[in-house]
Amino acid sequence: MKKIPDILSALALVTGAMLLPAVPAVADGHSDLSCGLNTGKAATGEPIKVGGINGNAPPGDFSGGTDAAAAYFDCVNANGGINGRPIQYIVENDQWNPELAGQVGTKLVKDEGVVALVGNGSVVSMAVNAKLYADEGVMAMASACAISDCYENANIVSTNQGPLPSGIGALKFAIEELGSKHAACIGFNIPNNGGWACDWMNKYMESKGLQGSSILMDPTAVDLNSIYLQALAEGVDTILLMLPAGPAIGLLKVAEEQGGRDQFKWVSPTPIYEPGVGNVLGDYWSGHLYVNIELAQYDSDGPDNKNWIAVTKKYGKDGDRLDTFSQSGFISAKFFTDALLKLDPAKIDRASVSEAIKQIVNVESDLLCGPYYVGDADRHMPNHAGRMVLYKDGGFETVRDCYDIDTSYLDPIRAQEKALGVTQ
Amino acid sequence: MARRISGKNFITLAVVLMVIWLLPLLLSSLWVKVVTSAVIFSLAATGVSILFAQLGLINLSQVALIGVGGWVLLRLNYATGLPFTVSLLAGGIVAAIIGAVFALPAVRMRGLYLALVTLMAAGALQILFNAFQFPNGGEGFWGVAQQSAGDVRRPFLAQTDGAYLRYVMLVVAICFTIVGMHRFAAPGRAWAMIRQSEANAMAAGVNVTFYKTWAFALSGFLAGISGGLLAGALQQLDARTFVAGDSILLFALSIVGGAYHWLGAIIAGLLFKLLPALFNDFGISADLTLVIFGIALLHAIITAPKGISGQILAGISSLAARRRVSRD
Repeated sequence: MKKIPDILSALALVTGAMLLPAVPAVADGHSDLSCGLNTGKAATGEPIKVGGINGNAPPGDFSGGTDAAAAYFDCVNANGGINGRPIQYIVENDQWNPELAGQVGTKLVKDEGVVALVGNGSVVSMAVNAKLYADEGVMAMASACAISDCYENANIVSTNQGPLPSGIGALKFAIEELGSKHAACIGFNIPNNGGWACDWMNKYMESKGLQGSSILMDPTAVDLNSIYLQALAEGVDTILLMLPAGPAIGLLKVAEEQGGRDQFKWVSPTPIYEPGVGNVLGDYWSGHLYVNIELAQYDSDGPDNKNWIAVTKKYGKDGDRLDTFSQSGFISAKFFTDALLKLDPAKIDRASVSEAIKQIVNVESDLLCGPYYVGDADRHMPNHAGRMVLYKDGGFETVRDCYDIDTSYLDPIRAQEKALGVTQ
Repeated sequence: MARRISGKNFITLAVVLMVIWLLPLLLSSLWVKVVTSAVIFSLAATGVSILFAQLGLINLSQVALIGVGGWVLLRLNYATGLPFTVSLLAGGIVAAIIGAVFALPAVRMRGLYLALVTLMAAGALQILFNAFQFPNGGEGFWGVAQQSAGDVRRPFLAQTDGAYLRYVMLVVAICFTIVGMHRFAAPGRAWAMIRQSEANAMAAGVNVTFYKTWAFALSGFLAGISGGLLAGALQQLDARTFVAGDSILLFALSIVGGAYHWLGAIIAGLLFKLLPALFNDFGISADLTLVIFGIALLHAIITAPKGISGQILAGISSLAARRRVSRD
């Protein structure tokens, strides 16, 4: 009987969080705004087609990356474009539907002939379209990826860390600072998402001589009460919320209803980190929820962060989410734009753009803990160092600044970084 | 027989082959994918139609059986080096066996009760799909590893999406032919008698249990083939594609399309997959198609018991009759 109210409350909470005003307080106008050539004149040349795919449907919204990329490209187009050529950004929603993901991927890559994809965020699209991207020689600079395919393919590079490094980062903190001994990784029963990430969580715990348990749920029938009871039955001391923001907040509400805050140490990867979450979580969780963030704090003073806020404020749509994935979409679009500006505008095509993206090495941003790079490799994970914040008084307080993780999953990534001369 | 093949059927065959050849050339890449899905679900809709039109039985487990066929194809793809078509047939046969098992309650039940039993069976399969997921190249019986999915082989001559659409249309045309042969052979006659009266059929020496089971097995076989084709099209399967509720939608659209003619199944497949894709492409929520489907179902129930295909065929017959009259 509790199942339906739980689902409804989770959805209501997410909807509420999305509707809340979300522009961080540091935005002080447009003085921080900087896009592309900064000419102040609109680009009028032949458009360059760029695609983006997000997954925005129950049980999660991953549109932050494409929203921010769209805002940045609008800003670039209003400021001279790519040496006079505007970017025509075409965004499709796969609605968490693999069949639709395949259709919209084919539409963008084959029918529209996009030169690249930027800002992608989805749980299904990359799995369905990875082969298409490789076959068609198109690169995807993703921003809100949550599945293994985003990090294990030559033609996909994601600016966000994904659940694996962010989750392990959260666990590392929990072990070192909170004394966690046995953690439950709660995720969706999707092999390349929750299954993949939680499997590596358990390996990480084992590597530390500790215990990890996976509690995976059906994404089509989210029963948060039973998941919470399962965690209780497992006898764990730590809960890792390996979930999109909606279900993660829903589970926290279930725990609140049952007075479960002090029974566990609560840690989460980045999805739950956004300005409006304080209005949903309230005081109950203040000082008790630790979140690993994949990019900088949304209210930090770095130039790129301030630019992200200024661009989103001026060019974004009402209701655009200002979360980590939005930051990630913004910085992906910026790196992409910077790479294109080095090309002869008359010779911009898919091949030259793919090559330009692969040439991105050792670029830096205050949004990231380490340098960003792509290179020519069979897999990419340029961002694997994050920060830890504590939910407090409706906001977040940094409790550990940039730190990297130690997992054998990164062995091939570290070898790449060594070859490219990148030091994280 | 030879005279029939050389006459009207030869023209039909030529038209079908021409459509199979031309359609992928006329469509953009997006619509090749959409039409592939629509054709695949037309085949599954045919399975629903057989049971409803021939026996008056309602089967609400068809989408789950599509999942069974897809599961078998993926498992064989990763575990063996069998050609795609062999794995496809294996998926059809396994789904046929499970479909025949579903026939057991059908021997004693009809109407709403049978519909509920098959829906519950679909729900059970949905839970199994969610719990164990679809094979992705892992070890063990379930073949699931916590990783990205491996490659799914396609037929040698159907590597591209366009060529695969041709392969799908060819397979579906063959299956339609098999169904047509059933309708005009002993099973079709037996089904017609059973539909009129099971007691009379038994009195006439018809083995009711066998022919009902046969119909369910054939329906399951078509669903299984659909599932295998879908796995080849998408290159992977996801449990969220096979929710029990979609079987109700497929049944409803089979009624809207028309359960008594193969054209109805094609219309059902197009409504099921093409219309939502059109809405998505126009930037309209595909959920609105459910409203349209509801209205179309009401229309079919109230005014067009033979569905859209019945209306189209009646219109063609009427037109042909008028032309004959005007010629005479």
